[in-house]
Amino acid sequence: MNGANASVFVVVAAYNEGRVIRSTLEPLIGAGYSVVVVDDGSRDDTSSVLAQLPVYSLRHLINLGQGAALQTGMAFALRQEAEYVVHFDADGQHRMADIPVLLEPLVKGEADVVLGSRFLKREHREAVPEKRRLVLRVARFINLLFTGVWLTDAHNGFRALTRAAAARIALRENGYAHASEILSQIARQKLRYVERPTAIAYTDYSRAKGQPLSNAFNIVLDLVLRGLFR
Amino acid sequence: MRPIQFLLVGLLGAGVCFYFARLRTRLIDRSLVLLTAVAGVVLIAVPEWSTELAALFGVGRGVDLIIYVGLFLLAFVCLLLYARIRALQGRLTDLVRAGAIRDARRPERLRIAAPDQRPAHAA
Repeated sequence: MNGANASVFVVVAAYNEGRVIRSTLEPLIGAGYSVVVVDDGSRDDTSSVLAQLPVYSLRHLINLGQGAALQTGMAFALRQEAEYVVHFDADGQHRMADIPVLLEPLVKGEADVVLGSRFLKREHREAVPEKRRLVLRVARFINLLFTGVWLTDAHNGFRALTRAAAARIALRENGYAHASEILSQIARQKLRYVERPTAIAYTDYSRAKGQPLSNAFNIVLDLVLRGLFR
Repeated sequence: MRPIQFLLVGLLGAGVCFYFARLRTRLIDRSLVLLTAVAGVVLIAVPEWSTELAALFGVGRGVDLIIYVGLFLLAFVCLLLYARIRALQGRLTDLVRAGAIRDARRPERLRIAAPDQRPAHAA
């Protein structure tokens, strides 16, 4: 096992991903990363699949939301003395090969948080479905308005953080609004952040499952309400 | 609508937002609800007062004033309930998270031992 990678804790939030979770996790395990999977109250066989894999496996007894699952995973990883924490999607959309790309600025001490972006390289950009690309372009401005952070990709779940940065993030949004909350906290904690190019693999599975565009409205609503009800 | 009405609505809206973001206390919450409820009851019990009060505010009828007060009360109570639900959700999350971390499964037990680490009696 590659000892160096073991201090990189890859946190995966999984909800009803029994079909693909094994194929998502096996490469990560093979590369020697410490993998933390949080089963967010799945109703399928996700849990039993996880039981057969050499990963840290946590389970929310009820479904709380992706934000909550990520926060649980991060808190756990920190307790295991993680040096770096990576957020990685359970459905196979993220490529393991991009993890070193995200880690590089952290290892060099150039940033505290690295965010993946689909819009930094042309081949990545063109892989994003037309409609989603448009929505994401608009989302950038809304994101700037609410978080004060300008990103080329405002809604990308692929992130890497140093231990110190992860310790200063405490997500309270359980649902999809956590993505914006992370950015708000990065801004408020004055953490240094950069974007790095990452690819997203849109498979039929992930496309079918993907975030409905109507969620955009819910996210904005969540942001407004969070501002009011601290 | 007259300019003063825009101003009052704006101020009221801003006041409510500010209240929920910063000033809220249980005591004030309950006082406001009680006050509005008492005001509502009084105005219904003594309708002439509502007409006089309405005239004072530039509202057409006493009934209209009661409706405005009632709507404000309703909206306020809804927001209070929402705030309470959010707080409850936070506590529920903390509870579920603590359980998940406490019962976490570690990967070590699944790692296959190297040949020289297997027990001597194994074939």
